[in-house]
Amino acid sequence: MQITFKVYRKDPEGNGKPGRSEYTVDLSDDATVMDGLLKIRDELDGTLAFRASCLRGYCGECTMRISGKSTFACTAKVSAFTKKGPEIALDPIRNIPVIKDLVFDWDAFLWNKIKAVKPWLEPREGPANEEHRLPDAVMKDLRQVMSCYYCGLCDEGCTVLPVDFDFLGPAALTKAYRVAFDPRDRDGKERLRIAEQPKGVWDCVHCFEASEHCPRGIAPTERIVALRDKAFQMGISHEKVARHHQSFAASVKESGWVDEGRLAVESEGLTNIKGLMKLLPTAAKALVRGKAPLPYVHSKRPGADRIKKIFEKGERERK
Amino acid sequence: MKYAFYPGCVSRGGCPELYPSAVKVAQKLEVELEELKDVGCTGAGVLPQYLSDPINARTFAKAEGLGLPIMTICSTCQGVMAQANYRLKSDPAYREKINREYLAEEGLEYRGTTEVKHLLWILFEDYGLDRLKSLIRRPLKGLKVSPFYGCFLRRPPEAITPTKELSRRKNYLDELIEILGADLVDISGKGKCCGFPILTASEENSLAMVAKHTGESKEKGADCMVTPCPLCHLNLDGNQPRAQAVRGEKIDLPIIHLPQFVGLALGFDPEEMQLKRHIVSTRVVESRVEMLA
Ligand code: SF4
Repeated sequence: MQITFKVYRKDPEGNGKPGRSEYTVDLSDDATVMDGLLKIRDELDGTLAFRASCLRGYCGECTMRISGKSTFACTAKVSAFTKKGPEIALDPIRNIPVIKDLVFDWDAFLWNKIKAVKPWLEPREGPANEEHRLPDAVMKDLRQVMSCYYCGLCDEGCTVLPVDFDFLGPAALTKAYRVAFDPRDRDGKERLRIAEQPKGVWDCVHCFEASEHCPRGIAPTERIVALRDKAFQMGISHEKVARHHQSFAASVKESGWVDEGRLAVESEGLTNIKGLMKLLPTAAKALVRGKAPLPYVHSKRPGADRIKKIFEKGERERK
Repeated sequence: MKYAFYPGCVSRGGCPELYPSAVKVAQKLEVELEELKDVGCTGAGVLPQYLSDPINARTFAKAEGLGLPIMTICSTCQGVMAQANYRLKSDPAYREKINREYLAEEGLEYRGTTEVKHLLWILFEDYGLDRLKSLIRRPLKGLKVSPFYGCFLRRPPEAITPTKELSRRKNYLDELIEILGADLVDISGKGKCCGFPILTASEENSLAMVAKHTGESKEKGADCMVTPCPLCHLNLDGNQPRAQAVRGEKIDLPIIHLPQFVGLALGFDPEEMQLKRHIVSTRVVESRVEMLA
């Protein structure tokens, strides 16, 4: 079948402007997108740049956007993308600086960020005489995380990266999880501390895009949430977030539901005059429209005593 | 048709216009609601699971006792409850543990049969589009509307997939806009996060997200945006003035709650849907609706 690929080019005319090149090639019915790319490069245009390595969906090198869907070119069948017509658009994945055509900057995208979380284990004591044994369940969990391809699809789906490229992103934070949750590491706390720096776990919106994008079922979003919970438990936390969580829990514990006015004020901090002033314009507008929940003017819900009991019991058991 | 109604905190707190408009719309649709009054906040993803799962199990047990499915009007309530329900349904030992340790004392038990559904899903899956269409009194002709779902009506998939409708669910809001006679203005960020969860930790990024979504919608010519999530509303509406400052240009895009939007098409006036309570002026929507009246 004749397929036309419309491929993103970083600078096809040599004038510094991105554009698209069109190539039509003849492919067999069961061809993959990568088959098409290799054919284009071999027969039509040797200047087209893309990455490829294992050609069997294992290395994550050929991650790209195929007619809008981010996936691996080597496992994506052409026929899956040509139902509406024999045309396929190829673009580099989003959120990432492009070096040339479909080749993006892995260092900026992933490796620098992975390095930043210190992705290695530091043993508790010197070399051991025998192997370190881990409980089966722990190893199973870690093995799943270790099956990461570093394909970057989770970062591609990330909602935060488009507004803040310095955010560590789900792939690197998942790597932090891998170390922080390994009992053999001397100080899992170290990775938690890194992960909870600005641009780390607290900047994640836990929108579950990363989990939805991951082809390995590693669930990066859940890993970030677990890092946060662990950081909390160990008393490492973003100051304002900690206040927010405490205030949230306190009002639900006392009344069964959230006192949003109190939450806004207490998250800023009762002595943080500057922070509180910042709330004023919005609060004033909301007041005029009869929608500002006044802090601490908050009635108990029926059943609140039961909710309080759940809190007390849960908290007791956690201790 | 009857549901155990779980209104959530925000529909009576930061978005007090949501609760009455949802109730009015339900009445008009002749959907009977029995409000769950003595239950707790879902935890909204802020409370840790060891607290929120028992609290939600308690809510599910109460609805189960009434023999009713739960109706939510918030993507976040929906998502947090769906995830808790998924854990409780798929792991009987875990459910038993929570029953034993937390619910038994009150004489409650959750057997794992409660369904939790957002109003948006109910309209499509239980109520039926033909019936809904027959009640439209004011097709919202000429009103240009962008959808904004709220993360948890679309993800995580395992909390949503137990139903065969998953892929279509991702499109309900788009469909509804056209069913109610309005023009769909599609935006790339409709299924993305509004930024609300990081308002505390990273205000700048949160506001940048608001600016991105509302800005794109405005650029594409929308009159307003409709959302089934009041937390999205808090950020997209309440913080839009500050997001404008980030973007460096006016946006002024009214954000309408799902029940308000349905209500307008069913013939309610903007006043009855309490549009005036929003932070961003809804004048554009009101005047369009008045022209249609
Ligand atoms: S976590 Fe999943 S999506 Fe992210 S890089 Fe690893 S394999 Fe790819």
